[in-house]
Amino acid sequence: MNVKEFAERLDLKILVEDDLEREITDCYIGDLLSWVMGRAPENSAWLTVMGNINSIAVATLADVSCIVLTENAALDADAKAKAEAHGVNILTTEENSYKTAVKLSKLLGE
Amino acid sequence: MRELSLNVMDVAQNSVRAEASLVTITVEESDKNDSLSISIEDNGCGMTEEQVSQVIDPFFTTRTTRKVGLGVPLFKLSAEQTGGSFEIRSKLGEGTVTTARYVKSHVDMTPLGDINSTVEILIRCNPQIDFVFTRTNDNGSFTLDTRELRAVLEGVSLDTPDVTEWIRQYLEEQTQILFGGA
Repeated sequence: MNVKEFAERLDLKILVEDDLEREITDCYIGDLLSWVMGRAPENSAWLTVMGNINSIAVATLADVSCIVLTENAALDADAKAKAEAHGVNILTTEENSYKTAVKLSKLLGE
Repeated sequence: MRELSLNVMDVAQNSVRAEASLVTITVEESDKNDSLSISIEDNGCGMTEEQVSQVIDPFFTTRTTRKVGLGVPLFKLSAEQTGGSFEIRSKLGEGTVTTARYVKSHVDMTPLGDINSTVEILIRCNPQIDFVFTRTNDNGSFTLDTRELRAVLEGVSLDTPDVTEWIRQYLEEQTQILFGGA
């Protein structure tokens, strides 16, 4: 499943659009950036409430397919600019990380 | 990072890379003022204003292996997310002072962690460099100054097992005295 399909199926809003054709093969949840940096699997959807410039750096380092800001967590203006510059897909939802992950798990199992 | 002592380790290693001969680490906390501040000061090669802004930028690093360096940006974030502040003052040829200030009681406060081990490891792994570690709270303070140790040791290296064991015990005892107990 790619990012575009993921966004459509779960009704996620797209905040930063880069390569929406990118495949999602896994999921990771975490807000402690130094922890996520070494652990989020490549090509995963990363569910977090941290929408700052460091999150974008972590996303590029871990090479995730997209960031999902859950519970409508805010995306800073400079983080948005960095995401656009470095090509990081960012989605958002009002649901929490657990509920989003449960739904994603079903989609990944199809 | 899960513990601020890991940030201290990271910044102190930058001081080592900057060819400092003296690194001063100060941890001051006060329950009265609800504050904790960490500063790492060195007499290394220092940075230009431009370089300072680059180390704060998570998309920049002098290492060539990856395009983002997150040590300093995450240290800064840890302070700011408690309502504290972060500052790097540096002068080319003179050295660098990195200071992080925290609001201690904030729910997003990262624990300080095992700062004594951090100091002990830094001394053991860099026996040619001098370290001054000061810890202060509302009760008082203590200081470990490797220049004083050197004067007593008369040429015995700071990474000698007996010396590192003494340092470990000294830090443990002083911490216990400072934080009540004795």
